[in-house]
Amino acid sequence: MATEVPAQHPARDRHQLQTLILAITLLLTALLAVLVVIASATWLNRYGFVHFPLGFYLLAQGLLIFIVAVAFWFIRIQERIDLARSEREGLG
Amino acid sequence: MIPSRLRTPNPHLGAYYGIVTSAFVSLIIILAMFEQLGWGRLLLAQCMMLVPLALYLLIAVGSRTFEVEDYFVSGRRVPPVFNGFALAAIAVGGVGFLAYTGTVFFLGFDALAIGLGWTFGMLLGAILFVPYLRKAGSYTLPSFLGHRFRSRGLRMAASVMQLPPTAFLVVAEIKIAALIAALFLSISFSIAVLVLVALIAAIAILGGMRSLTWTASAEFLVGAVGLTVVVTTVSIILTNVPAPQLTYGEMFSSLHNAEITAGLTPLVPGGLATALPGAMPAPTVKPFLQPFGSLGPMDFATLFLSLALGTAALPSILMRSGVTSSIADQRRSTAWGLLFVALFVMTVPAIAAFTKLIVFRDIALASASSLPVWLTELADKHLLQAADANGDGAIGAAELLIGRDGIALALPWAAGLPYVPCLLMATAALAIALAAAAAHLFTLTASLAEDLYRVLDRGQALPRLIAAWAAIAACSLAAAMFLMIAEVDPLKAALTAFAFAGASFFPTLLLAIWWRRCTKWGAFAAMTAGFLVMLGELVFGGMLGFSNAGFTTSLASLIGALLGLVAGVTVSLYLHKPSQGEDDYYEEMRDPEGEAIYDRAQARTAAQAAARASAAAEAAPSR
Repeated sequence: MATEVPAQHPARDRHQLQTLILAITLLLTALLAVLVVIASATWLNRYGFVHFPLGFYLLAQGLLIFIVAVAFWFIRIQERIDLARSEREGLG
Repeated sequence: MIPSRLRTPNPHLGAYYGIVTSAFVSLIIILAMFEQLGWGRLLLAQCMMLVPLALYLLIAVGSRTFEVEDYFVSGRRVPPVFNGFALAAIAVGGVGFLAYTGTVFFLGFDALAIGLGWTFGMLLGAILFVPYLRKAGSYTLPSFLGHRFRSRGLRMAASVMQLPPTAFLVVAEIKIAALIAALFLSISFSIAVLVLVALIAAIAILGGMRSLTWTASAEFLVGAVGLTVVVTTVSIILTNVPAPQLTYGEMFSSLHNAEITAGLTPLVPGGLATALPGAMPAPTVKPFLQPFGSLGPMDFATLFLSLALGTAALPSILMRSGVTSSIADQRRSTAWGLLFVALFVMTVPAIAAFTKLIVFRDIALASASSLPVWLTELADKHLLQAADANGDGAIGAAELLIGRDGIALALPWAAGLPYVPCLLMATAALAIALAAAAAHLFTLTASLAEDLYRVLDRGQALPRLIAAWAAIAACSLAAAMFLMIAEVDPLKAALTAFAFAGASFFPTLLLAIWWRRCTKWGAFAAMTAGFLVMLGELVFGGMLGFSNAGFTTSLASLIGALLGLVAGVTVSLYLHKPSQGEDDYYEEMRDPEGEAIYDRAQARTAAQAAARASAAAEAAPSR
């Protein structure tokens, strides 16, 4: 009796894995950064940055700039991952 | 006929919106000159507010459509930056413009959780949901869930569970817009509600998503110009540098001294439920820079996470995931939206700090018998109330009652600017509130027409657009009636809406998009668990005294999202496996290449209908 062999899609599987890793890495990095700053805001406020207490500055501006940078960086990397999948599928 | 999505976007869009911006700037300059020539305040207010409203209506008439694809997804050819304008206006809204600014004024450091939550939520949505919803191409969030799991029941359930968040946001935004109109145009609140509801209903009926996109772009530009001009001018007056986001830090030592003089002392953290300021005028009790004075670090993190999940899964934002021409463009547009939201969120503490500094500094210098002129003007507008209650000859912080939603509007007055900049700030807030209100209204009504009416009425007696128009008319009327009867706190309504969206839709979308094994029943369990937790909190929370024990809407939202995730995984694993159709849909959705799944299905259906018609025509002569 013939057994059903699952179809192999190396390009697709690799693309999905890379996308998953990218999403988890970026979101965890941003989330950890926010939570660490919240947890240490009082301590960070002892230091100054361009006339702002550092903890306040990071929550009011620094983390926002970081999050925007992460979003634009995500687009760049994800487009590279998508392109690699199309090229692999084209070759396949 | 060529499908709308295959036509090229208008290459002159940049020029058109350049003209809109220039026209608005010209209006400001002309009115500033007329103010110096002695025009009355009411006439200035009418020109400043009604001319942009007429412009929005004109844009909506110009972008009217009877094509279904244009009506629901703007023909899938909106350039990324313009979609970013609309996304930012929806995410911030009038609630962000006025209520968030007021909250930062009252809570200072502790209120930063709200802006940070919005921004992180936009990032979450951009990475986790938006590209896949663009590939799916469904017109509404419930229809995506229905297509993904091949289930009409799930689609209807999602449409029902989408009602609370969108309805709360519709009434919150309309209330903010009507408050501004009533304050400056000297009309009653009820008339303001009726006029503004009629305007947003007309915009939504004329061109659906298409007219919403192009009016929201104009409204965003009006909002951005208004905010930038006023805050930059105040920054120059106070610091000599036209960069408020960078310079308000220099004011902190003066602000600290003014707060001490006014009698503000550091607070001991309380619960989140009691910390957020209400809509009624109240005294300021917390120093601006004190960290975790009103909210403890855990409350701060809870509020941040709840807003992040809510923003990421907000149906009104996700509904715009199908309007650009490709997945890559959709990602870019969300990043633009995120950038604009972040710029606004970075500006808000500057507005709050400048206002607080001027208010406390001027009051500290004045005796109760000779209050500054701006304070009398603001008291006339019911934005501030000051009285020497203890008879010491001075106004302390406890004797100054300030309306939360009037802080941004009060800044140009307190800074001693002429009346036109005061109107400019109000026009900017009105524009953003209208853009958000129209988007939430359209999200609500499009889902009622597409996901409830079209699914329930298999015969489809009403064509798609007429069903949508009827839903818009009915919901607009209901929202107006509700606002005239009920007292709504816009900030509380908006936070509850975000909490509902986060609890019901975040776990569902996460499982539907990122987990192949998720089934229809798993998605239903995830959505229902979160929704029921939020419904329980809303109905029984206050009654059972949970809020006194620190069990707040934000915490309920996080618990709901977590329970939803657990329920979704458990039910998916223990009930049947996904069907081949669900599996194929998942694979197609995750493939970044090719047309939207919904468009392909529509084209296939149209081709089959054409083939059937042609076969019938060929068979007819032989009979």
